[in-house]
Amino acid sequence: MSNKELYSPEGLRLDGRRWNELKSFTCKVNTHQTSSDGSSYVQQGNTKVMCKVNGPLEPKSKANSNNNNASITVNLNIASFSPVERRKRPKSDRRIKEMMTILEKTFSETVITKLYPRTQIIVDCYVLSQDGGILSAVANSVTLALIDAGIAMYDFVSSINVGLYNNSIPILDLNHLEEGDMSFLTLGIVGKSEKLAMMLLEEKIPFDKLETLLGIGISGAQRIKDLMDEELRKHGKLLISTAAS
Amino acid sequence: MEIITISKFNNNKGLNDEDEEMEDVSNNDQIVTPGELITEDTVWMRGHGTFALGNKTYSSVAGTILKVNKLLSVKPLKGRYTPETGDHIIGRVIEVGNRRWKVDIGARSDAVLLLGSVNLPGGILRRKSDTDELTMRNMLKEGDLLNCEVQSLFQDGSASLHTRSLKYGKLKNGIFLSVPRSLIIRSKNHSFVLQGNVSIILGVNGYIWIYKTPTVDNRLKTDSTASTASKLQSGVMGRQSGYQVGSGSVSLTRLEEESSWEIYSDKNDENISDAIRSNIIRYRNAIQALAHSQIGINESRINMAYEASMAYGSLGSLTEPEVMENISNDVLNGEKMRGS
Amino acid sequence: MVKLAGLSLNEQEFLTDSLKQGIRSDGRSLDQFRDVEITLGDQPGYVDVRLGKTRVAVRVSGSITKPYEDRPFEGIFTISTEIGPIAGAFFENGRPSDEEVLVSRLIEKAIKRSGALDVEGLCIVAGDKCWNIRADIHFMDFDGGFIDASCIGVITALQHFSRPEVTVSGEQVVVYSTDEREPVKLSILHVPICVTFALFNPKEKEENIKGGADGNEEAGEFAIVDATMKEEGLSNGTLTITMNKNKEICQISKSGGLPAEGLMVMDCANKAYGIVEKLTDQIKEVLKQ
Repeated sequence: MSNKELYSPEGLRLDGRRWNELKSFTCKVNTHQTSSDGSSYVQQGNTKVMCKVNGPLEPKSKANSNNNNASITVNLNIASFSPVERRKRPKSDRRIKEMMTILEKTFSETVITKLYPRTQIIVDCYVLSQDGGILSAVANSVTLALIDAGIAMYDFVSSINVGLYNNSIPILDLNHLEEGDMSFLTLGIVGKSEKLAMMLLEEKIPFDKLETLLGIGISGAQRIKDLMDEELRKHGKLLISTAAS
Repeated sequence: MEIITISKFNNNKGLNDEDEEMEDVSNNDQIVTPGELITEDTVWMRGHGTFALGNKTYSSVAGTILKVNKLLSVKPLKGRYTPETGDHIIGRVIEVGNRRWKVDIGARSDAVLLLGSVNLPGGILRRKSDTDELTMRNMLKEGDLLNCEVQSLFQDGSASLHTRSLKYGKLKNGIFLSVPRSLIIRSKNHSFVLQGNVSIILGVNGYIWIYKTPTVDNRLKTDSTASTASKLQSGVMGRQSGYQVGSGSVSLTRLEEESSWEIYSDKNDENISDAIRSNIIRYRNAIQALAHSQIGINESRINMAYEASMAYGSLGSLTEPEVMENISNDVLNGEKMRGS
Repeated sequence: MVKLAGLSLNEQEFLTDSLKQGIRSDGRSLDQFRDVEITLGDQPGYVDVRLGKTRVAVRVSGSITKPYEDRPFEGIFTISTEIGPIAGAFFENGRPSDEEVLVSRLIEKAIKRSGALDVEGLCIVAGDKCWNIRADIHFMDFDGGFIDASCIGVITALQHFSRPEVTVSGEQVVVYSTDEREPVKLSILHVPICVTFALFNPKEKEENIKGGADGNEEAGEFAIVDATMKEEGLSNGTLTITMNKNKEICQISKSGGLPAEGLMVMDCANKAYGIVEKLTDQIKEVLKQ
C-alpha cells in the first residue's frame, strides 16, 4: 500500500515539504462582483477552487422554503479538466452528491440560519484543478464566500486533511499522489476551537493513531483559519479606504 | 509554504490573543470577522451583525463596529440590500399577482407593490376599480423596471413599495446598471440631472437607471402625439371610450389622464439623439469604473468620472480594466486636490 | 436522518431534557446498543437482522462475469441498497434522497473500501473470468440504526455465503454444483462493524460554537449510541465510526451537523470499540451454529 518514495528518510516529501508543512495557501474574496453576492477563490498547492454565493434570496421553489431557517443549497461542479487525466464526472456521481450533502449539513450549522427565515442561500463551487484535498479546499472557499456575502455566521469553518504514512508517520495536507497511496482523514473545524464540524475517514488506520491525526489536523486547520482571516481583514481595509466618503 | 507548529491536542481553548486587544470598543475602522469576541462589557445592547453568549458579544459578519448610543452592531462590508422605509429604489417586476406586483429589489425577499400604491391611469385622484385589477398587466408587467419608494416594512423585513408621486413610476429612455449595494450611500436625494442631457437615478439598493433628461417641451409634445399611439400600443381598449369623451376639450383632466397613461407606456421617446445615447453609455461606463475600484458613488464622483473618461475617445475602451482603474484614480486624486 | 413529523416542540424539548439526564424512552443507558437478533436463512447468504424494531434483510449472491479492465486480477463486489416505502411512509420510491445516498455510500466505504472481502480471491481467469459477488440490502422496517444493522447484515451474510467450487484446466472452467463438491466460503479479511452515535446539543447554538472558548462554560454536547427513529429525528447530527476487532478504524463519517469536540469523538471511538468487540463475538456465535 505505501510507497517508499513518498517520504524520504531525510523527512522530505515528493514536493519538498516536511510532514507538517501546508501547501502554499492563497485566497481571494470578491472575485465575482457582478454575478454573485459573495465570491471567493482558494488555491491550496495546485488545487484551485472557485465559489460563488447568492442569497439570502426568495426561494426558487417552495420545497426550499422553511419558515424558521434559511435553507442552504450547495452545488459542486468538478471540471472535467481538473484531474491530471481528463475525466468527466456526471453531476449525479454519488461521491459528488455525498460531498454536496456534507457541505450543506456543515454550513447549515455554522450560518446563523434563523436570521433569514423563508429564504434560500445558493452556493456554487467549481473545482478547476485537483491536487488533493478537494473537499477541504471547497469547504474553505465556501466559508470565505459566505462571509464575503455578508451572511451572518457563528464562526469560520476551516478544513484540511492529514494522512498516515506507513501506518506511523502523520503527514499534513496531502497532494494527489499522497492521497492515492495512504489513508487520510479530512476534517473541518469551527473557528479556532477544537470542535469538529465535519470529519471523514475513508480508509483504515490503527485506532491509537486517531488522536495524533486529529491533533495535527486541528492545528493545520487553525492555521488555515488564520490565513483566511488575514486575507479578509486585508480586503476589508482596502474596501473601507476607498468606499468611505 | 506554511510551517505548522503543533499544539498539544488537549491544550486549552481560546488562545486568540487578538481578542484581548479588542476589549475596549471603539468606533474606528477596526475590522472584525465572524466569531471574533468584540466585548465582554454588558452595557451594550446587541444589534445586527452580532451574537451573544453570556456577557460576551461576538461578531457574526466581517465588517466594522458601529456604535449608536448603547447599541453595538457590526456593519458588514457587503451584503444584500435591506430595505428601510423611505428608501428611493429601483425594482424589477417579476410577477403580476392578485392586486399586487411582486418586485425584485435585490433584497432577501421580493417586495410587493400594491395596486392601491400606484398612480392609476386616468387621474391621480381617481378611485381604483375592478377594471384596474384586470388591466394591471397593461400598467406594469413582468420585466418592467420601476422607480419607487419603500412605503413600509412587513414583520419579516420584506418591503411594501409605492409609486404615488410624479417622480416615481415606470422607467424608460435609458439603461439599467447594477452595482454593489454598499457603494451607494443613502442621501437626501437620489435622482440627479447631469450635464449632456442625461439624468440618473441612484437606487439605494444598488440599481441605477441612466436616462435622457425629460424636458418640459418633450412632455407637451408627447402629450399630443405619442400618447395615442402608446395607448393603442398598450392595448387598453377598455379605457378608450372614457378617453374619447373628453377628447374634444383640452381640459386639465384630459392632460392629466393622458400623462398618466403616458407613464405606463412601453414606447421610448422617438427623439433620442446619438449624442445623448453615447452620453448615457459614457456615464454608464464611468460608473462601472467607479464600481470596479469599489469607490462609493455619488453625484460629484459621477461627474468627475465622466470628465475623466473624456480623455478616452472610444466608449468601448472604457471597459478595459486599466482604463477603469485610471479613471477611478483620477477621481480619487481630484478629490484629494479639492481637499474633500 | 429522517424528518420528524408529529412531535410538538414541547415534546421534543422534554425528550431532549430526559436524554440529558441519561433517561431514554426504552430504558437503555446512553451508551448501550440495542440487542441484535441475527437470523440465518436456509440458503447460504441470506441474513435477517433485527435491531429493536429495525429490520434489514441481506442477500448475498454470486455469478461469473468478466472483471473490470483496469483490475484484471480482482473479482467484483457490489453492494446495493433499496429503501422503499415498506420501511416507513417517509421513504419515497424512485430517486434516492440525499440521505439515502449517504447511507449507501457509508455502507460501501465501511465494507468494500476497507477491504473486508478479499476480491483477489474471486479471480478465476485473470482478465477474463471472475466472481461477481453482490449484496442486496433491503430495509424492511425502520426504527433508527439503518447503517449499523445493514453493516452487521452484510458482513454476516458474506461469511454465511459460499460459492460453488470452480476448477480451471486450460481454457476450460468447470463449475461444480453443490452436490458434486463442497461449496467454498468467501475469504473475509476482517469484520468491520459500524456504530452510529447521535449528537445532541442541550443548549443554544451559540453555546455549542463558543462554549469552552474565551472562558465560557462548556456547552455539554453529548452523544448517544444507536438512536431510535425518534432520537435520530431529535438529534443535531450523527457520527458513524466503523472499526474491527483488530483495533483498526475502517471509516469515520461525520457529515456536518453539530460541531463536536475532538475529545468527544475520541470518547465515542472508545465506546465504539467495546460494542464492536461484543458484536463480532455475537456474529461468530451465530455462524457457528
